[in-house]
Amino acid sequence: MIALETIPEKLGVAEQWTESRGTHWLNPGSLNVRQVATVMNEVHARFITITAYQLPGTEGFRLEYHWDLDGRLLGMPFVIAGNSMESIFDLCEAADWIEREIHEEYSIDFTGREYEPLLLRQGDKTGVNLREDPNAQPKPAAAAPGQEEVAK
Amino acid sequence: MSYKIPMGPYHPGLEEPYKLDMICEGETVQDAELNIGFNFRGIEHLAETRNYFQVIALMERVCGICSFIHTLTLCQAMEKLAGFEAPPRAKYIRVVMAELERLHSHVLWAGIAAKLMGFKTMFMTCFALREKVMDVLQAISGNRVNYSMNRVGGVNRDVEDPLALIPLLDDLEREMMRTVIPIFTTSSTARSRCAGIGVLTNEKAISCAVVGPTARASGINQDLRRDAPYAAYAEMKFEVPVEQAGDVRARLFVRALEIMESCRILRQALTDMPPGEIAVGGDKFAFVTGTATSRVEAPRGEVMYSVSWKEGSRNPARVHVRTPTYANMPAVRWMVRGARLADTPLIQASIDPCYSCTDR
Repeated sequence: MIALETIPEKLGVAEQWTESRGTHWLNPGSLNVRQVATVMNEVHARFITITAYQLPGTEGFRLEYHWDLDGRLLGMPFVIAGNSMESIFDLCEAADWIEREIHEEYSIDFTGREYEPLLLRQGDKTGVNLREDPNAQPKPAAAAPGQEEVAK
Repeated sequence: MSYKIPMGPYHPGLEEPYKLDMICEGETVQDAELNIGFNFRGIEHLAETRNYFQVIALMERVCGICSFIHTLTLCQAMEKLAGFEAPPRAKYIRVVMAELERLHSHVLWAGIAAKLMGFKTMFMTCFALREKVMDVLQAISGNRVNYSMNRVGGVNRDVEDPLALIPLLDDLEREMMRTVIPIFTTSSTARSRCAGIGVLTNEKAISCAVVGPTARASGINQDLRRDAPYAAYAEMKFEVPVEQAGDVRARLFVRALEIMESCRILRQALTDMPPGEIAVGGDKFAFVTGTATSRVEAPRGEVMYSVSWKEGSRNPARVHVRTPTYANMPAVRWMVRGARLADTPLIQASIDPCYSCTDR
């Protein structure tokens, strides 16, 4: 079993893993995700998924990359201010669909790769499912039951 | 001259929506393109609009086969955010339900695989067996499909007399040993249709990061029940079947052996179930701000939920679901390459795909 401590060493970061609610987290600092994916391949970690979170206002997004190493769940959070992130598809084939899905759900561009047609909502535009418009006006309260206008 | 054959969006064997465009040279498949999303439901978005009771009922409907697994994974993540753990008896009941669901799923798959092989008698036998498993699930939960068993902090219903379920298990195990497993592992019909087709090599399985029986049939020795135990799995003794061939037959073997291991786990869980309460925490929960993840070994492989909450909120801020078919399906492209067109329905079915999970 590979010791987790060897991974920060390989990545060249001073920070160590912190365990929170069953996940081992490592702050990648100034590293980019491709460097992390390369080291994860070296240690034969299994890619699991990427979870995207939209941050409040115009702060951007947090992308949490997850790998499994001998049953241990590893997490690496990357915060992006804009709409783009480097793709790891060429390093990690398993990231293909989830990158495409996040591209569709949040309109985040994974640079350095080509997209096939939309995966989940073919023919639709990107970012309509989970991305919130920070400038959008709050929606008016829903009408009480029985008071809705009946569509004709 | 190569030509493209669109298969789907209604699967010829499973009658579910996804599309596989196969580029063929004569009868041989050269490459394939996969399209999903025909039944995309936006459940992750819907989850953000549901409170902590409603979200459990919603996520139970991600999948009709492994509905218990989805709520188990969600509840385990929510329990981490609420700061408590299910009591021991609830953990054992969760193991019982999860293994019954695995039996139900594997036997259902065996029936469908038999039908695709043109082995209709076996299809009938498997579905008759599946009914017995469904009867046990119904006896425990009161429901045949969406069991409503999980809650934050434990389970909703007790198994009042666990030992009374042992004869049902004996019956099930006997039938598996007498018909299903020998036929699938030794019959010439099964061998001729499954051996050497739809091969996913070990290297490709690692590269695609496939999970569950699909991975184990390609020589990857992984199972979360053993590697990252949850519920009461740390207290169970069982083997993880692994095959090296990577073909449809190996996937069939792995599932057949897993059926026997599930029976073994069930017997232990029912016999050793500790007394005590089945849930803690009452009906009102306070979740802390943060993110929690949970992983469970579903019948088709690893399910992972990431749940994010803001303190004081009744609704989750984000629920992300990574289902096993989502990880396994891209590998079908490599399995069908070089296969005969007539074998592709069985190859696709051999990963036990769940489009309901994929199009969550």
